[in-house]
Amino acid sequence: MAKLLQLITSSEPGLRDRALADACAGMTATELLGECAELDQFRRRAENLYERARALFFLYAIHRFHLPDALSPAGRKGGRIPFSGYQHLLRRRFEEAIDRFLAAQAAEGPNDAISSALAAAYHRLAFQTLADQVRRSVRSVRGNQWMFRMGHPADQPLRVRPELLRPSPEDGAFPILRECAPVRMDLTHCGWSDIFFLGMDYPEGAKVLNVSIDLGVHGRDAGTRPPVEAYLRVIEEPVLRLASVDLGVSADLASLAEVFDFAKDYLGLLKAAVIAAGVVPPGIEGSGQSLAELLARMAGPGRGLELVSRVNDIPKGSRLAVSTTLLAALVSVCMRATGQAASLTGPLLEAERRLVLARALLGEWLGGSGGGWQDSGGIWPGMKLIEGVAAGAGDPEHGISRGRLLPRHRILGTDEAPPETRRRLQDSLVLVHGGMAQNVGPILEMVTEKYLLRCHSEWEARQSMLGILGEILEALKAGDIRGIGAATTRNFQGPIQTIIPWATNLFTETLIERVRAEFHHDFQGFWMLGGMSGGGMGFIFSPPVKARAQARLREIMSEAKRSLQHALPFAMEPVVYDFAINEHGTRAELLEGEAALMPPGYYPLSVPALLRQERRSLPPGRRAELDKFAAACRTRPELGGMVRTLFDLMLPRAPAGAEEAGSLAALLEAHGFDEVQHEQIRADLKAGRIGLSQNRLPASATLEDARPEDVAELDASRRAACAETGLAALRRGEAAVFTLAAGAGSRWTQGAGVVKALHPFCRLGGRHRTFIETHLAKTLRLSRRAGVEVPHLFSTSYLTHAPIEEFLRARGGLGHPGPVLLSPGRSIGMRLIPTARDLRFLWEEMPQQVLDEQQQKVRDSLRQALIGWARSAGEGADYTDNLPGQCLHPVGHWYEFPNLLRNGVLLRLLELRPALKYLLLHNIDTLGAELDPALLGWHMESGRGLNFEVITRRLEDRGGGLARVNGQLRLVEGLALPREEVEFGLTYYNTNTCWINLDVVLRAFGLNRDELGDEDKVTRATRALAFKMPAYITLKEVKKRWGQGQEDIYPVAQFEKLWVDMTALPGLSCGFLSVPRWRGQQLKDQAQLDGWLRDGSADYVESLCEWPPDR
Amino acid sequence: MEIKKAIITAAGPTQRTLPLQTLVDRDGKAKTALQILLEEIGAAGIEDICVVVGSGDASAFAAAAGEGGARRLTFVEQREPLGYGHAVHCAREFAAGQPVLLLVGDHLYVSGGPRRCAQQLVEAAEAEDCCVSAVQATHESKLPYYGAVGGSLVPGRTGMYLVSQVLEKPTPTQAEQELIVPGLRAGHYLCFFGMHALTPAVMELLGEQLSEADPGRTHLSQALARVARRERYLACELRGRRYDIGVKYGLLAAQLALALDGDDRDEILSSLVELLARRGRG
Repeated sequence: MAKLLQLITSSEPGLRDRALADACAGMTATELLGECAELDQFRRRAENLYERARALFFLYAIHRFHLPDALSPAGRKGGRIPFSGYQHLLRRRFEEAIDRFLAAQAAEGPNDAISSALAAAYHRLAFQTLADQVRRSVRSVRGNQWMFRMGHPADQPLRVRPELLRPSPEDGAFPILRECAPVRMDLTHCGWSDIFFLGMDYPEGAKVLNVSIDLGVHGRDAGTRPPVEAYLRVIEEPVLRLASVDLGVSADLASLAEVFDFAKDYLGLLKAAVIAAGVVPPGIEGSGQSLAELLARMAGPGRGLELVSRVNDIPKGSRLAVSTTLLAALVSVCMRATGQAASLTGPLLEAERRLVLARALLGEWLGGSGGGWQDSGGIWPGMKLIEGVAAGAGDPEHGISRGRLLPRHRILGTDEAPPETRRRLQDSLVLVHGGMAQNVGPILEMVTEKYLLRCHSEWEARQSMLGILGEILEALKAGDIRGIGAATTRNFQGPIQTIIPWATNLFTETLIERVRAEFHHDFQGFWMLGGMSGGGMGFIFSPPVKARAQARLREIMSEAKRSLQHALPFAMEPVVYDFAINEHGTRAELLEGEAALMPPGYYPLSVPALLRQERRSLPPGRRAELDKFAAACRTRPELGGMVRTLFDLMLPRAPAGAEEAGSLAALLEAHGFDEVQHEQIRADLKAGRIGLSQNRLPASATLEDARPEDVAELDASRRAACAETGLAALRRGEAAVFTLAAGAGSRWTQGAGVVKALHPFCRLGGRHRTFIETHLAKTLRLSRRAGVEVPHLFSTSYLTHAPIEEFLRARGGLGHPGPVLLSPGRSIGMRLIPTARDLRFLWEEMPQQVLDEQQQKVRDSLRQALIGWARSAGEGADYTDNLPGQCLHPVGHWYEFPNLLRNGVLLRLLELRPALKYLLLHNIDTLGAELDPALLGWHMESGRGLNFEVITRRLEDRGGGLARVNGQLRLVEGLALPREEVEFGLTYYNTNTCWINLDVVLRAFGLNRDELGDEDKVTRATRALAFKMPAYITLKEVKKRWGQGQEDIYPVAQFEKLWVDMTALPGLSCGFLSVPRWRGQQLKDQAQLDGWLRDGSADYVESLCEWPPDR
Repeated sequence: MEIKKAIITAAGPTQRTLPLQTLVDRDGKAKTALQILLEEIGAAGIEDICVVVGSGDASAFAAAAGEGGARRLTFVEQREPLGYGHAVHCAREFAAGQPVLLLVGDHLYVSGGPRRCAQQLVEAAEAEDCCVSAVQATHESKLPYYGAVGGSLVPGRTGMYLVSQVLEKPTPTQAEQELIVPGLRAGHYLCFFGMHALTPAVMELLGEQLSEADPGRTHLSQALARVARRERYLACELRGRRYDIGVKYGLLAAQLALALDGDDRDEILSSLVELLARRGRG
């Protein structure tokens, strides 16, 4: 039997839990390929889900991490990925994609490119396999199945309970059912063991200590309360009326299609709840039937239901599972109202709580999201241990997975957590929201992957976490809060970060450091809540200092946020919570007669529209409601101020954002905005002269792959010879580094508008390091090696200049001995609302990765909504509905070199280094790029104006490459490729790292170094060349933040000119050099970080760096 | 066990007049629904029958039973609408500790064969010597109208189930969790047929239920659920169908079923064909 197969099939834990990396160590490429063949055969025939999934993850890991290093030099050089396989991959036909890639591997021999494609295909198939099983399990939970069978209103077996159908004899209003639920906090951080892919394979390791809590925002709310509320009542209109008080939206849904349209508005969670509760069962989707008939069946002819949610303005990203709890509370109130719970009011029975949990999971799946099973923990009372359960005979999971989908909840009694301990915990713990909002999706995937691969250190960390859980339970019993603090701190600093280094960040570390410095022994521990830190966190203090700690923490967090706000994506101002353990879990009550009122925030949503209508035209129920509301405004303190609120809402005010518009205009003026060019672009865009499809080269253009002789490669002896030349030039002061740091890194933070250069992306040399620090550390090492102070330039823009300048100033230039100069941008663009044509082109014509079925449905719905937004906001209009900085854009890296000429920085540098002849230009995220003396020597010897570094292509390297276009060798941007498949015929991918011979390139601009002081001439020369460069229209994502930590992402149009198009400039000599992947790869997406850390890339970068001593 | 007594419940506020409706029976004779029920019971060999009626309804029912029928009947009034279980319990003195056949007054039964439904049930109960409820596999969309049972097939028997759970008008959620019966089609549950052969224990349990503080509306299903825990309790799928004459067009459907099962089958079929043909020309 193959060696690796035993790791999957062995019943002996020692063998089964052995790390794949250990087992692969020392294997040759042939051995690894043999193992791959066995594993592939095995996974095709394996019936056990987890054996299949593990085999897939093994195959992924071998192709991603182990095989590329073991390949022969020829294999390492890369190969071609068949486009048809890639298309299968995009369409989620993973099996077909794998077969196609395997056939290519058999035909051409194993190589780096095909391994990257196989790794991607196996990875996606593995997650698809797991997700399919979770979905099947969620559907097959007893109590959920019937909803998938129901396809016609006449089959709806649910009826609204009679108590809710009796209008009040006084005012005719229907009673309101209100569900109030606490949220949950995870007292242990369970190492994400509750995510389904883990819990269902390793139930004995899935353990969570989960506490239900009431919440209030410190300094804002008078006290604590169950923060999550769901309201339901019958209405005399045949619609489903949904309202979210916190998001300020409401809608009347009159058709079934609207109920299943999740991303159309902000009511997706309410819709998911209505569906998961069986009110509109999932089986009826797409049936073409009538919602009114369905509602009539349940509540009577002409009647409908109204569902209102409220989370008391608890900000998003609290890590307290607010949204899952809200989903569960909404499901619960719907279930009670339709007789699916024994009791209309009061607490739920255990079986009912379990069903609410199952339905909440279903709702999350419908909404295209999903975390773990502990997130509905607030439905249960007090403190509880939630544990995975082994699947037994009779369970739907039996024979498929080792564990059941749903866990077991054991509520801790007073013997296990005495009341005194609970009180002391409340007196010690300060809960906060640091203000960061993070996408934890990639983290959950990484955790799953590492678990299934049994990565050595992570597996040990997981075991030690279980020990820490035991310690915390013991400490709870003994009332030892300090012991709990010590354990949670150890958990955070040890196992959690061993499993996922990205669970912490500089912001969190800064907070802990400052709190510890200020509170010394009174600070008893840090406690990470949920998926990642930076959002919800806990700090444990001695009870006497808690009040002071709450006040100080808010200040400390605000200070830390201020110092890092350009580097990290903050969604909101940090907040401190008040909290209390809730010993009841979710409860409901029936509000009747005068008490039948919705929450105060509901009325500003609904009343203005009613007041604008003729009173006589209102249905009697609405009239009665208005009367009741008016009366309540006069008597109820919680509705005090409502009149003023309504007045403000209904009467026109000065247009909002006038101040922001002013600052936008100032920014435009300050950064050289070219109004004439902008209007021209707008006119061209609207007329269809420019756009995504016009970016492309003509279809008649011939594109061929580069020939072997087109690309240079340095062997060891050539390197040695060139290195001497390069080192000598360095010592003569002939070279400098030019790092492009003007961009916002749209993909890095999904358009959050932070400075990517300052993002402390990873712990290197023992500390979190920013991109800028890493680049300077490489230059520092080089300077030491060459014995000369190598200058380093950074291009900046309106967005990045001031923060980078401040960052460097505050850190004394980061200990860099040589000159560090910033080259501020001299051009700026204003973002435009995209055209529907371009959005459709991007989403419908360009190849797109199809998502998992439900997620795709949600995405399609969102895209329709965004196309609607573009149309209603005005295609081609200025994008101004955001912070001023988010409405502007840098205009592409072509301008960075001309900027250097126009802003006088090159002139200044030449004054400092008159011998300067060569620049190494590279992107901020090309971490492996350094001023390698050997490459410098080669560049010098080539005599060319520009030499670009290229790498052999992997599947993920998308965006053009090196090609012969109509016979001319040049780099082509992905945007310009006439057809998608062309890219798959190009062996080399552009790294955008470029060696510049200053004098040659200046000549291409029609300049020489003596003319750099002539501002007019420089301006004219750069404009003249800019005119020859093609402008591309691109769509970028931009975040808009609103409410309490809410974020929306919009696509916006902007234009760019790109440096690589210099390779098409007649008369400028350009060359191309193939470099190793570690040197050339770019970090575009945070999801790449984990692989980057594991595949040796991070070690490579560290080896290039010398970190200055800490200041 | 030998069943010699039967109880018909007809006290529900919405069903007080239903047994008084007139239909043409299988033999072509016009009869009240009550008379048809009495014949159903009579075919099972039971002559001693009690009808539980609402206050003041006894005389109307006596008239509807016809001369021959009324002589066999005992009337008991349910003075307050305290639930179906209470209505049944009103007849406890009539039952006098004997097993009884219980029928609802708003259902008619058509077996389509020589052995009528009540007869099948009584024979089953006597053979099994235990409480037996007639059930029919029913689609989940009808769950709001019926009590339903969960259980397992009695080994080696077709259509006979050992009951482990009884729920009154369950939601599909509850039904799926507690009433799944192997062998039934997906989304189908064993719902009551409106006909039960009850042991004396049921009356006792109803009495216990009613003596509890604040019993609310008392359901027979609750007592039957307790029976299932206390003694052997079976559910039996009968050959035949029930017709609820209380629902919209229920009376019409019952009439058609009776007519198509009887002597005038051809005449009715001809009328229907003619009706359809005229409609088609229409």
